[in-house]
Amino acid sequence: MSQSRMETLDPQTSTMTLSIDVDLYPRDVLYAAAYVFLDRAYVLLDRDGSRFLVHLRGKQPMDEATLRAMTGEFENELLAQALRHRVVEVNQKIIENITTLAIAGAAGGSGGAGDDDAPLIDMQDPGDDGFLEDPRGIAAPWEPKKKDAD
Amino acid sequence: MPSPSHFVTVKLHRTLYGEQAISEAAATFGDFATFTVHPEGDHYVVDVSDIDGEVQGDVVAEFCNFALANAALQRKTSDG
Repeated sequence: MSQSRMETLDPQTSTMTLSIDVDLYPRDVLYAAAYVFLDRAYVLLDRDGSRFLVHLRGKQPMDEATLRAMTGEFENELLAQALRHRVVEVNQKIIENITTLAIAGAAGGSGGAGDDDAPLIDMQDPGDDGFLEDPRGIAAPWEPKKKDAD
Repeated sequence: MPSPSHFVTVKLHRTLYGEQAISEAAATFGDFATFTVHPEGDHYVVDVSDIDGEVQGDVVAEFCNFALANAALQRKTSDG
């Protein structure tokens, strides 16, 4: 049995039914993909045993080619949402850490950074940090030029 | 997929549509039709009657879209 299959297609009523194996995508992915189509189609989800059924009816009349294209778009959207779901899952800890740091920073706390808040350059002896070195002579003071322009 | 008429029954699968999602959608469209919801097996059965014939568009299908959107949003909220 295939994992995704077009069950019905009827250009007369601008309807089509797609069935998807329940093990292929999480339910959240199905919701997210269906949500994207709500503005241009009437969407009804159902379940028959081990398969989700997606009934779509175009809000505007659709010929067979358009209905087939919409089916393909729906399958693509499922894949895109599945990837999005996976990326969020994998990066959940990182997202939480960044959000915690941002909120802590906005609240005036150190966000657990500790000594990381110390200046990167030792202002007593900045040359030691290497940022004053300019072996290619790229650095040029701009203040005097600006003063002349005025 | 339901089509417009003055009495329509819609079956929404209980694993995909929460009762609250359906009730909120019914409340949204309460001015245009009468909705009664009851569980039956794996589905919530929604009887839609007194559909306002003056309304442009498909009230029942729009109701289904709203119920789906509510279900998706409530699922997202409960996860977060």
